[in-house]
Amino acid sequence: MKIPTHHNEPQGIIKNWNRQQKIAPYLFIAPFYLLFVVFMGYPLISSLVMSLYEMRGFQSRIFVGLGNFTDLFGDPIFWKSLRNTAYFAIGTLTLQLPIALLLAILLNSKFVKGKNVLRLAFFAPVLVAGVFVAIIFNLVYDQRAGLVNQEFVIFGKEIGWLNEEKYVMPAVILTGVWQWAGFNMIYFLAGLQGIRQELYEAAAVDGANWWQAFIHVTLPSLRPVIAFVFVVSMIGSLQLFDLPYILTNGGEPADAGSTIVMYLYKNGFQFMRLGYAATIGWVLFFIIAIVSIIQLKLLGIFREE
Amino acid sequence: MLRLAIDAEGFPLGKGPMVMLVLFLISTLFIFGRSEEEGEDLEFWIFANTHYEEYQARVPIFEAENPGVNVRLINFGGTMHDKLLAAMLSNFGAPDLVEVEITSIGRFLKGAIDEIGFVDLRPRLERESWMDKLVVSRFTPWSYRGRIFGVPHDLHPVVLLYRDDLFKAAGVEMTAVETWDDFIAAGKKATRDLDGDGKIDQYAIVLDRRTESDYFSLLLQQGGGFFDEDGTVIIDSELAIETLEFFTALFNAHEIATPVYGTWHGDPSNFAAMQDGKILSILAPDWYVGILKSQVPQMSGKWKAIGMPAWQPGGRRTTTRGGTMIGITKQCENPDRAWELLKFTYFDRPGLVNRYETTRIIPPLKAAWDAPIFKEPDVYLGGQPLGELFIELAPDLPARYQNPYWSEAADLLNDAIFAAVTEKQTPREALTELAEKVRALIAKDAGRWGEQH
Repeated sequence: MKIPTHHNEPQGIIKNWNRQQKIAPYLFIAPFYLLFVVFMGYPLISSLVMSLYEMRGFQSRIFVGLGNFTDLFGDPIFWKSLRNTAYFAIGTLTLQLPIALLLAILLNSKFVKGKNVLRLAFFAPVLVAGVFVAIIFNLVYDQRAGLVNQEFVIFGKEIGWLNEEKYVMPAVILTGVWQWAGFNMIYFLAGLQGIRQELYEAAAVDGANWWQAFIHVTLPSLRPVIAFVFVVSMIGSLQLFDLPYILTNGGEPADAGSTIVMYLYKNGFQFMRLGYAATIGWVLFFIIAIVSIIQLKLLGIFREE
Repeated sequence: MLRLAIDAEGFPLGKGPMVMLVLFLISTLFIFGRSEEEGEDLEFWIFANTHYEEYQARVPIFEAENPGVNVRLINFGGTMHDKLLAAMLSNFGAPDLVEVEITSIGRFLKGAIDEIGFVDLRPRLERESWMDKLVVSRFTPWSYRGRIFGVPHDLHPVVLLYRDDLFKAAGVEMTAVETWDDFIAAGKKATRDLDGDGKIDQYAIVLDRRTESDYFSLLLQQGGGFFDEDGTVIIDSELAIETLEFFTALFNAHEIATPVYGTWHGDPSNFAAMQDGKILSILAPDWYVGILKSQVPQMSGKWKAIGMPAWQPGGRRTTTRGGTMIGITKQCENPDRAWELLKFTYFDRPGLVNRYETTRIIPPLKAAWDAPIFKEPDVYLGGQPLGELFIELAPDLPARYQNPYWSEAADLLNDAIFAAVTEKQTPREALTELAEKVRALIAKDAGRWGEQH
């Protein structure tokens, strides 16, 4: 038996301490990685493998290689869902975000009164669950009794917002604007409040008018916020599901309200085509990745200052 | 605890993590330390609130009659079918008994017949002679390849619910309507522009053109369907095409039908239109009458009911829409005990009478039909004994054959109906194209998997 001595005790403690110091960081981050592996890593790999198989029933599967991918690219409902999703995403970027920015500028201005009340009012819709939003807007868009057609007969006729194919996605986009514009407004507002007043003063000294100050001071200063909001909104738009699912009763009529995630859900859970659903998921992942990289590049986020 | 609180200052990561750790330990002890109840557990999953309420009231009676058995009722609402699918896929966590809705059962029937997650109940039903005691056509939605995977909860016969006052005001006596030709004649009189603004203010009937619900009900009434008993696609049969031609004509040629207000018959907009007198009739299954009573009680006394108009004089006056089954999953450890609970909830006469009282759902057990409640005047229908009418029609219910491809087929059928009603395609074109798509889907799978899948 080795008897510890006064001579080797401090050395042993130091050695032990060094070992603990090496291991400790890994132990601290272990819970995250453990959860990541179980809830993200494994499902990701599993779904990738699944996308290479056709599954049938609860136990059978056949390896089809890229067969699901080639089937998907020849599937008209997938393309329709992709078009609808892109339509919504473009609608969000071109309608919702400018409205959000405009609201933020108005609420950041010195001339508007009751800012806190207005901020709360514009932000409040995001607190309503998507399911309830869809139910409420179902009533709002009703062809004969709905608020929109009753109060705003701007087109001179009753519009079948949820009954005619061409109006379904505009109705979904407008609902998205109502629900999310206030939320994005908060990001823009935070960005606006972070711009140093001296920049505007300097611009004024240089003779810049309001518009020039907006173009040359506000927008460049907001670039990181705009990039963030654009990318997050785009990802959210591409993952659109609950709002049109309830608003259009599963994408009807004639799949006019179908989105990629809705089609994924239908294939996975309603048609029991799990391999095909996994394929849709991976295609969606690549679409989101490519679109996000392009957006970030265009907005100059990768550019060194 | 006091000591712990005092020592929190000395906890390496501070007070917050200390509190979180304590809460974590307490909840872990609570979750894992719960003593198991004595006896045998039966888990029963439900998706409908009304069913849940009914079983909640009745299960204690079953438990009292079967000492040592604990029934755990779980109501998952609309997400239940997805949860069941996940449990069957992972071969873990499925309940002993479960109720499944008619439009959802198809997906559970995919794959080899032996891989289906429900116990075949045919041997038990035949051994105990239950088949003859129930309306036998109602087993078809829950049967596949000769096996019976569920027992019907209901019959869901359909009647024509109509506004007697408004039809009479238009000079129409609806009790004289026997066929669809009679209905069209009556409907043309009753569909009217009341204020002379050139817009029709009241339509003879409201129909859903976005989904298969009304068209498919009419097709079943004719004896048709999407698939036949052997699983062959028959949606492009002359019968199906003629039925869709008739359906579209109600909107376009005869102009007596209005599309459903909102997205389905249960939409608040649709109820509002009914209250405004814009809708004079509707094809109503028994469960829909229950919904009307709870959603628009103010319309009590305004409705009357007759059997659906027949396609030919003397023909079938009803169809069926919707439905639920109860099944025993293969993960059940004691199917005999589960079978006893199944019989208690589905074949017990007092329970079925109580079900009609609360939901207006007619039970498939014929022995329950002579209960006085079914003959009672229904205040909502101005005193007409609605139960009696449903029971009179019940033995004539059409069969509705189930198929694993029903979900895909129904999704495409919705598109075909909408295309035909909005005149983008003729009914023949729409249904021919639809049938080709579904046949191609089945053929592709058969090529990969063989006919037995």
